[in-house]
Amino acid sequence: MRLNNAIIIGAGPAGLTAAATCAENGMNVLVIDEYMRTGGRLLGQLYEEPDGGWWNGIEESRNLYEKAVELGVEFHLNTPVNNLENEGGVWTIYTEQEIFQTEHLLLATGAAESPIPIPGWTLPGVMSVGAAQVMTNVHRVQPGDRGIIIGVNVLSAAIAMELSLANIEVVSLALPEKNLITQESANPKEVMKSLLHVSHMAPSKFARWGSRLMKNSFMQTLGVNFYPKSGVKMWNIPVQLRKAVTEIYGDDKVEGVKLATINAKGEIVPGSEENITLDFVCIAGGLYPLAELAAVAGCPFYLVEELGGYVPLHNERMETPLQGLYVAGNITGIEGAKVAASQGRTAGLSMVCHATENQLEDEINYSMEQTSKTREEAHIQFHPEIDKGRTKILNQWKSYHLEE
Amino acid sequence: MNKDELIICRCEEVNYQTLRDTAHKYQCTSRELKLRTRAGMGYCGGRSCRLMVDKIANSNEGEQDLTYISLKYQPPVRPIKFEDLGGDKN
Repeated sequence: MRLNNAIIIGAGPAGLTAAATCAENGMNVLVIDEYMRTGGRLLGQLYEEPDGGWWNGIEESRNLYEKAVELGVEFHLNTPVNNLENEGGVWTIYTEQEIFQTEHLLLATGAAESPIPIPGWTLPGVMSVGAAQVMTNVHRVQPGDRGIIIGVNVLSAAIAMELSLANIEVVSLALPEKNLITQESANPKEVMKSLLHVSHMAPSKFARWGSRLMKNSFMQTLGVNFYPKSGVKMWNIPVQLRKAVTEIYGDDKVEGVKLATINAKGEIVPGSEENITLDFVCIAGGLYPLAELAAVAGCPFYLVEELGGYVPLHNERMETPLQGLYVAGNITGIEGAKVAASQGRTAGLSMVCHATENQLEDEINYSMEQTSKTREEAHIQFHPEIDKGRTKILNQWKSYHLEE
Repeated sequence: MNKDELIICRCEEVNYQTLRDTAHKYQCTSRELKLRTRAGMGYCGGRSCRLMVDKIANSNEGEQDLTYISLKYQPPVRPIKFEDLGGDKN
């Protein structure tokens, strides 16, 4: 068993930035990640920024990693953490290989993908859209020759573009069939609403529709009602808000999907089903904060839809109500890599503050301001009301401490 | 393929129809739905189906308690060897 100054679980943008921040300030830092490479979800990201430059997640990850290594940060990759315990202010971190201890533990475990159940989704060739992204951009392996993405959201739109950059044919972005689980992700009007804030990403008709016509609910209904049956093209891929996949078929692997026309409420138009031949299917249910370790640690939670689900209670300094436990990145709510990295810096500074005699008030305040600024300038926003979500969790933090 | 046969919990092979009908019949919480059907109780520890079981159960509940995770997480949150749980290597 070893005692470390600071332990960080998760080597994505938040964890790596926090690690470098702690190390810069003299802490002895260990980063643990279950994946074999550092970078987390950042690894798969590849897109053009509004200024014309390219955001290459692999390069960004390498830079963050190399900086941390130079500062003496130690890494344990391929190391899943299966439990956490606290006794007398010391956190014990259990992995299969080793047990670690620290008084300053940061959970930067990121996000996981929500499932969308569809008949036939257990066939080989069906994968989450994030898996297709990692196969393509990280491992450079084609997920297939011709596929469909089920679920229309910010993440799936961005990954569709990445797949098309790699010359992989995506025949359509369509919705799942409505049921008790798919709910709003199967409702054309709700999906249209959630897409309005990404309209600037699409150099097409979609953008103009989004920004001008769709301001109010009436226009949204109209937009969905008159939505062209063939879809609107984004990067040459039809986005079909009036089509739903009702089944994935194939004997031993994916051979195709049944695609039906749906009305504005998401109900299937009888007799409209057609078979589309394919060899892979991506399921895009969106992201939710991966908070299982915070839960076994006993951290209080709050369900905030705008942040993507249950998030551990935390303040702007990235502290949780549990002593020595900090959070940063997507575990605190679904946002982009730049916001995650900025939160990581704040968390690192908070850890330094608690662990050493250093007074870093100015730096912490500056870092918190930078996070808000990064959020405002974000190129991709996962939830249109992210600010409302952030306010909710901070208010919950306040009322939790008033009750104590 | 019959839509009701749609698999929700892969580990325990619990389908959509079973979950929907159980939730409807007992008007139960997600925890009760899990215990009645075994959905989420397989070797992956509910990592794939937790959210779906929750959604099916929440479809008949009224107000949800926002401060409480309805389907509890238990360690180990990742698969580990039996010997590491306290067994003998032999």
